[in-house]
This record gives sequence, structure tokens and C-alpha cells, in this order.
Amino acid sequence: MPTLLELQNALQRSLLHRENDAVSAMLAAHVNQDRLDIYRNTFLHGLTKVLRLCFPVVQRLVGEEFFEGTAQVFIAEHPPRAAWLDQYGGEFPEFLRTFPPATSIAYLGDIAELEWAVNGALHAPDTESLDIGRLATIEADDQGRICFVANPSLRLLRLGQPVDDIWHAILESDDEALRRINLDSGPIHLLIERRTTGVEVVRLDETAWQFLSELCSGATIEIAVERAVDFDCANALAEHLAHGRFSSFGMPDASLTTTAA
Amino acid sequence: MRPAIISQASAIPARAGIGLRFQHHQIVLETRPDVAWMEVHTENYMGGGTQLRYLDVIRRDIPISLHGVGLSLGSAEGIDPAHLERIRKVAERVEPGLMSEHIAWNVVGGTYLADLLPLPMTEEALDVVCRHVDQTQSYLRRRILVENPSTYVAFGNSIIPEWEFMVAVAKRTGCGILCDVNNICVSAHNHGWDASAYIAALPPDAVGEIHLAGHSIRTFADGSTLRIDDHGSRVSDEVWALYETALARFGAVPTLIEWDNEVPPLAALLQEASHAGRFIGNAVKETSHADAA
Repeated sequence: MPTLLELQNALQRSLLHRENDAVSAMLAAHVNQDRLDIYRNTFLHGLTKVLRLCFPVVQRLVGEEFFEGTAQVFIAEHPPRAAWLDQYGGEFPEFLRTFPPATSIAYLGDIAELEWAVNGALHAPDTESLDIGRLATIEADDQGRICFVANPSLRLLRLGQPVDDIWHAILESDDEALRRINLDSGPIHLLIERRTTGVEVVRLDETAWQFLSELCSGATIEIAVERAVDFDCANALAEHLAHGRFSSFGMPDASLTTTAA
Repeated sequence: MRPAIISQASAIPARAGIGLRFQHHQIVLETRPDVAWMEVHTENYMGGGTQLRYLDVIRRDIPISLHGVGLSLGSAEGIDPAHLERIRKVAERVEPGLMSEHIAWNVVGGTYLADLLPLPMTEEALDVVCRHVDQTQSYLRRRILVENPSTYVAFGNSIIPEWEFMVAVAKRTGCGILCDVNNICVSAHNHGWDASAYIAALPPDAVGEIHLAGHSIRTFADGSTLRIDDHGSRVSDEVWALYETALARFGAVPTLIEWDNEVPPLAALLQEASHAGRFIGNAVKETSHADAA
């Protein structure tokens, strides 16, 4: 008699890889192994639907049938790791970049990466924005040592082609805009965030993007400003704070300072 | 310290409710339909953003039940503590009147198989499920209900009838039973059981909720048929009849109309719920009649 774990491993192999022999031998006499297809179909269709909702523009670009076939290969190779499907699909952009049948659309992986970032922003946990009043309590001399924690909905992407324009044009079915896109116009720098009105995708210039990236990855204001050459950091920082792009702040050396005092 | 607040308004009444899906958030807020309670899938509210905010508003007026699909009470390798914590967080925010899960599994080797998969009805599986129900109830500090599954396959090593398995889980852990009447109808057909005998075996005081849904019928090449629990249509006459049997045994129980695929307009769901409500009304009348006699 199989143990529970042996049975669960056998059914997993059947669902993911269509290896039915082991689990078929465990079925009761009245059960035809065709019935396993019901579970496999529910599993595959359910996850394909999750991917379709997360990557609608990828689907529009490749067509429904191709998307479904691609999703099935992806699901078998990268099944979900947790019962939290809002988080499922993170490997899909990289998968598309290397899945031979999909490589004919060179920017497909970049589109998927953008859609994954939008999905992440959409489902990110709710959080209070940083209380600007609390920043004012820090002595002016110490303010350079402040570092921020980014709002969990915020995503920063640097992509090789103008896929934000493609993404917008396809979502709005704007063929004219799609025709005008120059794929060789160079890399783009995007800020993706959830606002009260929905998820916004904003293009930043490279220096502005770099400055915000530094701040979001935990650099102190001092260091971020030092690295941003010819850039109005004060203005940019004020705008980020006004938009609630940080959820909290800290002073990396605060404990040292306190001890020294 | 912030006191734990469990709102009285969140208790689920012994009346008919409906499953709340994203498609209906807006219209529920706009029209404030007259429905006794609603149930949502816990896993759909684990992040932040708009959907959770809708639920925050809806639950001010309508008691909510949280129904989980991903805890995998039957996993041989244990339940995912991170998932249990996510469920606890949703419960903390939503303050549900009831919380439920399934007698099923869907996680093995760290992979989530995104369906409610069947368990062999063995002593080992019973021990595993009971251990995980205990773990869940002590972590959440509340009683949960466990739902009987619809199944398409059964295993050769099964030795416990499913209804006895359900009763044993409730008895050993103190959890309640979510009696899915449609699932009983589906599984009874698929395995040749007597659906009424299944219901007759369940202890009335353990049954805390009933689910009703539609199912479809698939015919195989050899002419045999299989019933599939797809939640994509109206409740069938056969299930309504079985529901009447269930109410006669259990008394008035909170009853949910589930319809997750090909989701119909809200009005159709409400219509199904009022139909269920009439059955509950009759059951109440008969009970008080019996009490008086």
C-alpha cells in the first residue's frame, strides 16, 4: 500500500508531466484513469487563466492559442510554489525570452516584465505613506543620513525597447500609435506604482530614475544626491515624498550617534 | 495594546448567502442587495489594493465568511506556515463570521497544484488531516469548518467511507462540518454511494454551513458518465431535493450559493439564494411545528 506521500508524489507527476503509471496503479477498481484528466484540466486551465489575467498584452501579441500552449509548457516547468496565485508568474518573462517558439517577437519578454511589474503593484500590500512631518524632526545636519523604505507597490524597470508605448497602444487598440513606435529608440526607464486611481506606468529620464533607484535601494540621501550629477535632487525628492513613494525612513548611523552622544 | 475586536455584526445567520466575486464588488456597493451574508475565497484577499478595499466597505453591512482553498489540510508533508499566517492576516482584517477549508490536498514537494485533490481514505490520511486541523484551529484561535470534497477518482487503499472520515475529523478536532450538498451528489454518482445515507451519517450539531452549486455531466466514450463540480450553472433539481433532506436532518443552517465559473449577473445569484431561503423557512416551520407537538 502506498503511503500518503507516495500517492501525492505520484498524482503530482501525473498532473505536471502526464506520467500516469504510478498513480493509475493506486486507483480503486471502479475508476478509469481517464478521470485523472479532470484534475489536470482544472489545474492547467486555472493557472492559464491566472497567467492570462496577469499578461493580457502578451496574449494579444501572440494570440490565444499560442498563449495557451506556451502557458502549459511554462506551468509544467514552473508550477506555483504557494497557494497565493496573485504572486504566480514571476518567471514567465524570463521563460518567454528563452522559449524558442516565442523568441520571434524580440520584445515579448520585456512586455511580460512590464506586465509582471503592473501585477505586482496592483496586489502589493497596503501601507501608510511616510509622514512628512516626522522628517522635519530630524536636524538639518543629519538629514543627509536619512534612508528610505520604498512603498511596496513601487517598481522601477529599465528595459531595452519602448515597450511601454507598445503596451499602451495594445491596451487601447490604437493601431496608429503602434505603427509610429520606433523599436530602435533606445532603453527606457519606468516607474510603476499603485495610486488611488489605479496602477500608473510613468517614463522617467535616466538620471531621475537612477536617483529614485538609489533611494529605493536604501542609499542615504547624501549618497543618492552625490551620485546624481546635474540633477535637481531637492525637487525630485519633494515630488517622491508628495506621491507617497516611501513608507518609512531610518538613520543607519543613528545608534552610533546616540552612543557617541 | 489594541484589543481584539470581533464584531457581532459578523456572525453568519442561518439564512441563505452568496459567494462574492470580484465582478460583483461594484454592483454590491451600488445596489446594496438584500442578502443575509456573503462568502469570499481567502486567497483572493491576501495582497492589498482595490479588491480588499471593496471588501472592507462591503463587510460593514454584510457578514462575511472566509473560505480557503489553499491550506492543503491533507498534505503529507505538513501545511505551509506562511500560508497559515496569510490566512490569519486576512481574518484579522475581515473579522469573518465563519472560516472554512477542505478535506483535500494540493501541496507536495513545495509545489501548489491549484485544485482540490482527493485523499485516500486511510487511517494515515485521517491522522494527517486531524493534526493539521488542530494546528490551524490553535493558530487561528478559532473553530474552523471543513468541507467534504467532490471527487472523480478514489484509491484502492481507501478503507474508511468518506462520511465516516468527515465525522471522525469533526469528533477528534472539534471542528465543524461544511456540508456541500452538491459535492455529495457529485461524489455519490461518481462512486456509486447513497447520497441520503451520507447525509444521514453526519451529526447535525457539527454541521455549521451548507454549500449549494451547479455541476455538469460528462459522458465518456464507453457511455459511462461522470459528474463534475464546476460551479458554473444553477443548482440542479436533484441537489435541491437532497438539500431538503439535509435541512430536515440538520435544521436551519447558513447556506451558500456558489457560482464561480461563467459567473452570472448578481440578480441570478440572489434569485438562487431566495430559493434556498424558502427551503430554510420551511425547515424552520417544520422544526417549530415538531417542537410544539
